[in-house]
Amino acid sequence: MRTNLSLLLLLAILMALVPSVLQGGYFVNVAIVVCIYVVLAASLDLVMGWTGMYSFAHAAFLGVGAYTAAILGRDLGTSFWINLPAGTLVAGLFGLLLGLPSLRAQGHFLAIMTIAFQTVVYLILAQWTDFTGGQYGISIDPIEGFGSLSAYFYLVLGVTVVALIVIRLLTGSRFGDALRAVRDDETLARTIGMNTNAIKLIAFAISSSLAGAAGVLSAYHIRGVTPDDYTVMTSASIVTMVVLGGRGRFWGPILGAALLVLLPELLSGLADYKHIFFGALLIAVIIVAPQGLAGTLAQRRAK
Amino acid sequence: MATLFETAKAVALGLSLTALSAPAVHAEQLKLGVLLPLSGSASLAGTSIREGIEFAIKTANEKGGAFGEPVKVFIEDDEGNPTKGVTAVRKLVEQDGVVAISGTYVSAVAAAETKVAREYKVPMVSAGSTSSAVTDANTAGDPWFFRAFPGSVAQGRQTAEDTLNRLKAKKTVVLFENSIYGKSLADQFKKDYEAAGGKILSMESYNPGEKDFYSTLTNVRAQAPDAVYIAGLMDSGAQIIKQSGELGIKIQIVGSGSMMSDKLIELAGPASEGFAVSSMFEPSTPNKHGAEFAKAFRAAYGKDADVYSALGYDSMSTLIEAARRAGKPDGAAIRQQLMKLGDFPLVQGPDGTTAKFDEKGGVAFTIGLAIVRNGKRVWMPFD
Amino acid sequence: MALLPQFLANGVVIGSSYVLVALGLTLIFGILKIVNFAHGEFYVLGGYLAVLGSQLLGFPPLPALVLVIVCMAAFGWGVERFIFLPIGKHDPTNVIIASFGLSILLQNVFLKVAGPEPMIAKSGLPAGAIRLGSVFLTSERIAIVAAAAVTVTVLLVVLRFTWVGLSLRALSENATVARISGINVRRVAVVTFMIGSSLAGLSGALMSSVFMVQPGGGVLVVMKAFIVVVMAGMGSIEGAIVAGLGLGVVEALVTGYLGSEMRDIIGFLIVIAVLAVRPQGLFGLKTERS
Repeated sequence: MRTNLSLLLLLAILMALVPSVLQGGYFVNVAIVVCIYVVLAASLDLVMGWTGMYSFAHAAFLGVGAYTAAILGRDLGTSFWINLPAGTLVAGLFGLLLGLPSLRAQGHFLAIMTIAFQTVVYLILAQWTDFTGGQYGISIDPIEGFGSLSAYFYLVLGVTVVALIVIRLLTGSRFGDALRAVRDDETLARTIGMNTNAIKLIAFAISSSLAGAAGVLSAYHIRGVTPDDYTVMTSASIVTMVVLGGRGRFWGPILGAALLVLLPELLSGLADYKHIFFGALLIAVIIVAPQGLAGTLAQRRAK
Repeated sequence: MATLFETAKAVALGLSLTALSAPAVHAEQLKLGVLLPLSGSASLAGTSIREGIEFAIKTANEKGGAFGEPVKVFIEDDEGNPTKGVTAVRKLVEQDGVVAISGTYVSAVAAAETKVAREYKVPMVSAGSTSSAVTDANTAGDPWFFRAFPGSVAQGRQTAEDTLNRLKAKKTVVLFENSIYGKSLADQFKKDYEAAGGKILSMESYNPGEKDFYSTLTNVRAQAPDAVYIAGLMDSGAQIIKQSGELGIKIQIVGSGSMMSDKLIELAGPASEGFAVSSMFEPSTPNKHGAEFAKAFRAAYGKDADVYSALGYDSMSTLIEAARRAGKPDGAAIRQQLMKLGDFPLVQGPDGTTAKFDEKGGVAFTIGLAIVRNGKRVWMPFD
Repeated sequence: MALLPQFLANGVVIGSSYVLVALGLTLIFGILKIVNFAHGEFYVLGGYLAVLGSQLLGFPPLPALVLVIVCMAAFGWGVERFIFLPIGKHDPTNVIIASFGLSILLQNVFLKVAGPEPMIAKSGLPAGAIRLGSVFLTSERIAIVAAAAVTVTVLLVVLRFTWVGLSLRALSENATVARISGINVRRVAVVTFMIGSSLAGLSGALMSSVFMVQPGGGVLVVMKAFIVVVMAGMGSIEGAIVAGLGLGVVEALVTGYLGSEMRDIIGFLIVIAVLAVRPQGLFGLKTERS
């Protein structure tokens, strides 16, 4: 655990050098997107990898966080420093809202239920024009003191590191053991007196609140919110990041998120064929490394 | 990871070196960027617009390019997504070194992209984004986002007047796609149609990609309007026209500009007879410059130019012309010239239409109305 | 109320199309437990094959449909053999991701090969409105209801009286027991996947003359199909009929009386409600996961 955290800090320091070494907003911009998706994938992994529940609704929480910030800023004129905790909190509450009916469903049924929830949230964002701005969305002003891209990047990087440390400490604690117990054998966990429902709800709430924080970060990054960023396709991409990187492992989702954000950028030379290549690559990686990249690496090292 | 960053660093260093070692005395190549949705649902329009843009570049380069060298163009697919779009702008400017951008098609994405492009002092000319909100966001007299055709305000107003005065429809039902494009046109249409004395019976939205309109059209028939105005894209428009034919509805249908397409007539079949569409360009245009473009385009691609290829062509050719006049590949200088382009002819609009951008970056010209007769669109003369 | 018959007719037609798409999925997803996100693209591929057969090759309707079924069966064999078999069923999430990749791949291959413009197949059926009292329909729309009825009947007969059907039902109840009693599980799985793939293509082909074929047209279709299958209960054909028609009628009524913007919201809220009350689906058997 300590090595993981020191490695994380080392990586964060390396990332922090991006703006000075790689002069230019493009790299900083890509680094910001990587950070946001790292938070998303790592927080989804709490539910998917550690607790063994499907969720195709992570982008809904991303959207709830982003819209909370945008609407508070528009109606109450609050600053980023209030909007960030508010977005986190509101997304967490929505997580509980989805978590409650989800307690009864399992496996594929849970997947469909989360897809339904995701779609309903998207449709409300897109259609409740008076409140959410509909397809026009809401525009957001830059944060005072963080107007430059690299300053904002440091802010995003800071939040990312904090989120990852929280996740690491949680999964390394007794709560992490409880999550695993629910994943491995829920009936047994219940038999030995664990309140599995409460554990699942807490996991859902924490996971979605972190997604909400990522949503606030992404809203300030694009300087606005529009519903099309928060669709089931985004959710499916986050699930893909977790699986491709390796579920239930600290580095898995981080690796998966970094890879899936960087890959399209590196593939852009393929122009019209980049999506075809991307799809084929997904299939190939799943066949070759069924436990995700981190899982396969760990296995190889164990041999 | 390490190697990736090293290559990236090398690229970045290379870029800053070229920037240093390229003083203005040398003839420089003009590098322009293009942002369009080339995959996903909006690719239907994006692909057609790209043809127009590429044709403009080809034409310009045959005439010697700019600054004595061929114009170089970098095309990025923004997938109709704001996050991708913002990243793509930075990539075009920093990695590829473009000084001006033609793009994009989806209005919400254009709004996000121009905020970033502006930081780099890179002007953008819309490649299909219609919502007037994007140009209205410009500071008056200091625009960075231009649109070489009338936006949703003028389009909606013109269609409202045409529906009321030319088509003599006093009661209309509005169906609009739930997107900025559809909603901005529908709202404007309602405002001007009612102001001019028409009556809107109902407004109903549908989701992009919707295929079945039977239940919606059943309600339309029950309201017995004189006309139905559709603000949306060609694919849904074709379905609505086809299905209202099947439901035996004989009501004048009026479509927004993106339905100006031969494909729509083919898909909707005989039901498209009498369909009226707001049209900024027709291959049979009385605009001399436009007619030349239509002829050359036909010779090059073996098919007729449509509204998308025409606006793509105008978007890119205004940029190239402004750069030529600026005399150097510099975003701010190109923008200065864009604002003084009042004598440069456009292929869209009636004869004599020019790229006379107003203080908010928009262009005004009369929008025509075309009506399908015997399976062909007939352009009604401009007043 | 005067419009009610037309709304109900619209609902039955759309519901029949949902039933058709869901039949293939209920075999692949419900029985083989393969979550195939690319099912919608199989549907679209069927549509393109129908356009190819009826427009480009000039086939009459029936031979064009045979072409679709044969090609889709072969395609299904390939996908099962080279993608889903190597992944195995041990990990459902990996299957989801692989099919997600396949879905992106196919959508963009369609875009590249067929282009972004929509296409429409010729059904050869008489065009124009058919009026039944106050209800307007077309022969193509009536054909969809008929095709759904025929397909359901054929499928039920196949499942009831052939070796594939018997083995399939044994497999869906208990794979281990089925294997012990001498059923070639592997072969059944391949054949089932091929049938499911053909059914997806067939429904896409039938719908391609009513609605248009577009590269991204499968996304919404697969969502609706999953909803129908899950609401019905995994692998239940009778359930798929009720759930498919039910969803179609509810959507038509919501569109008619509340407006189309409410349609999908209400549809998905019903899904959440049904699953919260009956997690195993309407016709599913309650099984405790071990």
